[in-house]
Amino acid sequence: MERRDFIRSAGVAGGLLLSFQELIAGSWETKLVAPGAASPALGDFVRIDASGDILFQFVKHEMGQGVATAMAQILAEELCADWEKVRIDFPNADMQRYQNDRNGGHDTGGSCTIIYQWDLLRKAGATVKQMLIAAAAKQWNTTPEQCYAEKHYVFQRNTSKKLAFGALALSAARLPVPARVELKKASDHQIIGKSKPAKLIPKIVTGELKYGMDIKVPGMLYAVIARCPVFKGKLKSFDAAEAMKVAGARKVFSTQRIAGLQLNAPYMPYDIREGVAVVADSFWAARQMQAKLIIEWDEGGNGKLSSEDFEEMAWNRATHRTDPTGFTGNANAVANLSHVRKTLRASYVFPQQLHSCMEPLNCTAHTGENGCEIWIGTQAPHLIDSEIRRVFGFSQEKIKMHLFPSGGGFGRRYYPDMAVEAAFISRQAGNLPVKMIWTREDDHQANLAHLFQHMEYQAALDKDNNLYAWYEKEIRTYTWSARYMDPKLPSMAYAIPNVRYDFEDMIQQELVHSSAWRGVDGHGRFYGECFLDEVAAELKRDPFEFRVSLLNGGKDTYVGDAIPVHGSRILRVLQMAAEKAKWGETLTPGRGKGIAVSTFGYSYCAVIADVTMHDNKLVINKMTIAIDCGKVINPSGVEQQMIGGIVWSLTALLYGGLPIKNGRAMHTNFHENKLLRMNECPPMEVHFVDTDEQTPGGVGEVSSPLGVPAVLNAIFAASGKRIRKIPLEMQGIGTTLREPIK
Amino acid sequence: MATVELHINTRKVNIDVDPDMPLLWAIRDFVGLTGTKYGCGIGQCGACTVHLDGNAIRSCSVPVSVVGSQKITTIEGLSEKGDHPLQLAWQQEDVPQCGYCQAGQIMNAAALLRGNARPTDSEITTAMSGNLCRCGTYQRIHKAIKTASTMNSKS
Ligand code: FES
Ligand code: FES
Repeated sequence: MERRDFIRSAGVAGGLLLSFQELIAGSWETKLVAPGAASPALGDFVRIDASGDILFQFVKHEMGQGVATAMAQILAEELCADWEKVRIDFPNADMQRYQNDRNGGHDTGGSCTIIYQWDLLRKAGATVKQMLIAAAAKQWNTTPEQCYAEKHYVFQRNTSKKLAFGALALSAARLPVPARVELKKASDHQIIGKSKPAKLIPKIVTGELKYGMDIKVPGMLYAVIARCPVFKGKLKSFDAAEAMKVAGARKVFSTQRIAGLQLNAPYMPYDIREGVAVVADSFWAARQMQAKLIIEWDEGGNGKLSSEDFEEMAWNRATHRTDPTGFTGNANAVANLSHVRKTLRASYVFPQQLHSCMEPLNCTAHTGENGCEIWIGTQAPHLIDSEIRRVFGFSQEKIKMHLFPSGGGFGRRYYPDMAVEAAFISRQAGNLPVKMIWTREDDHQANLAHLFQHMEYQAALDKDNNLYAWYEKEIRTYTWSARYMDPKLPSMAYAIPNVRYDFEDMIQQELVHSSAWRGVDGHGRFYGECFLDEVAAELKRDPFEFRVSLLNGGKDTYVGDAIPVHGSRILRVLQMAAEKAKWGETLTPGRGKGIAVSTFGYSYCAVIADVTMHDNKLVINKMTIAIDCGKVINPSGVEQQMIGGIVWSLTALLYGGLPIKNGRAMHTNFHENKLLRMNECPPMEVHFVDTDEQTPGGVGEVSSPLGVPAVLNAIFAASGKRIRKIPLEMQGIGTTLREPIK
Repeated sequence: MATVELHINTRKVNIDVDPDMPLLWAIRDFVGLTGTKYGCGIGQCGACTVHLDGNAIRSCSVPVSVVGSQKITTIEGLSEKGDHPLQLAWQQEDVPQCGYCQAGQIMNAAALLRGNARPTDSEITTAMSGNLCRCGTYQRIHKAIKTASTMNSKS
């Protein structure tokens, strides 16, 4: 619903609005909204309407990671709101108004949302509360010190007087904004730290929640694109005669390759394939049309290549001396290993694979002469804004963007290509409103994917069997820039005297365009946890004890920015996981446990997989997860993210891959590209590490890389089999459906 | 094109559509009920699950012309006030993440409970394994079905 409509339909007499901008600037100001007024001049993040309900103006993207609820909790806590009276509102994108945090306002990625919103939202809540108190004090002719707020009311001390927030909103809005506010002590928190079901659930379980896919605007047509099945291939010719005979057919036209800016700041790695767009009265008609197109492609060089060819190229790069694109660590770490007792080497491969968001990609666009309106679920409205301006030449004021939650984003919805494609089609269709939908088949055949990673490891052991040097060479198909990506890896906290990490990009050679994928840096990096196990095995050390000894009591290591990798926190999650999973207990033959640890978004996570292997058949008995995400906002939400992340990685482990033959993706839909199902999902337990940390970390991407290394290590423990490439399906390892979840 | 009368939730709706169009698109784009979702279009994910005379079907794989006078129930019609035991249990157990698959999950679970008020753990797992959830909410879905099966049915 439009804000305007809401105001009208709710008959709100007035509201209290605070602007993000001004919160940041420190010169805060309130604005009134009169009934039926147009959008307020200032951006608002909180409104208390006359009924007393708080409408939290949620400007980030909710895609299942739970930030809408967590952010509302932070705000509601300081506001002393009644949680039941807090609602989530999705305002339109506004590039001026909502540049409210270090991540750029709307930007939702990299597990950063809660980290950057923590201070801002607490201040915001406390500010509104203080103004409500001031309004009540004025009305009662007393001082604010004589009043306090609790659960949506302001009370006067030692009296029976109280006033509801809703009744105070209007007068509070007329008061000056306090220059300073005091925040609650953590020990007084009543909403932060408590499990709260996600705010959107009532709408989800009744089918009311609108995703981008569910939008209908007047006069809207539907579009589907037949994209070139070979990356960087070109359209030669097409015959649409049969397609145009479909009832409801409107238009057919070619689409162009539109690439984001390449490898130079500001780098925007997307690359829309050439194709043929069909436009029709309904999605079904468009789909029929797409099937009836006869298209000739010029496949180019990629049309002759398959996954095996690409992997061989990567293998050659990895195993021959080449110049790295970038590196970090000690340049001479492995320059001279003549004195070491032994060196170990291993190659690991993490294949490309899809995001498979349950809501297929889609965008509705309506272009005009010099502007456009867009309806979309996106992690990055600011990138859509800048790319639409760049490609179409529209000015910022002429781009109106309606934002919706998404049925999964996982990094894929960070890229602006859907909006660029939809706007292009709308324009070609004669500036008509068009909803562009990727069919699930399109998703399999022409989408972005997790990068390809070939990891080449080397470890040197000195004569006393100490780990003297660690070398990692990563061949990857994706990077945000030409420099090293400054990852924070747990291994960086290990006491190894000589380490060097190289990376080389193969962006020009890739057969499928790469992108961020729930975990951002690339999951292949976490094979380091497997190679570490190989070193432990060589030394006949217990993998858990070996890690503990390398952590050397847990020191801080600085990598990339001012926030260190905390060895002590790695140590604690490892210890908690080991304790809860009964690491070290005697196991029957065929059973084994494997451990892996990660850090991301300033959070730390350790996972222990408990598996049984019989005749190349794997059963995952249990996954135990220990998490230290600093200050916990919503334990239930964190638990969901931990478990969801492991389900994500188990899909990668068992099935993940995007096999290419002659440039074309072999998988067409979920019967070939399998995702983990309930009958394959092992029981999981999540344990929180006790911590004094006062700030929250991100939780969406810290467990997601861990299922693969933890299970691979467990398979070795159970069977002595070392697997260095996924998916298991392709490595001769079958899975057995486990016992039902208890 | 043909005129088709659909008995959907408490309404009767006439739409003018290609008789081969899957029921899913008739429900979403012509009747205008968007709670039922498109996930795969080939019966693999269950996001499009609705009830035909109380049985769970994949609406993406049923042509609108074969529905006839059978009663269609979508997520919007599962209960009048959003208080079906499963809807309450989903809230209580905080099941959804992105939520996109959940209408299909709930409709599938509702059909299960209708025929089997107290399913065992393995009956739940078997019945629900046709529904994909990319966010990985399986453990909670399972738990919530258990919870719902112990609530007093309101209908
Ligand atoms: S959309 Fe019908 S089963 Fe996937
Ligand atoms: S909740 Fe997101 S796909 Fe199931």
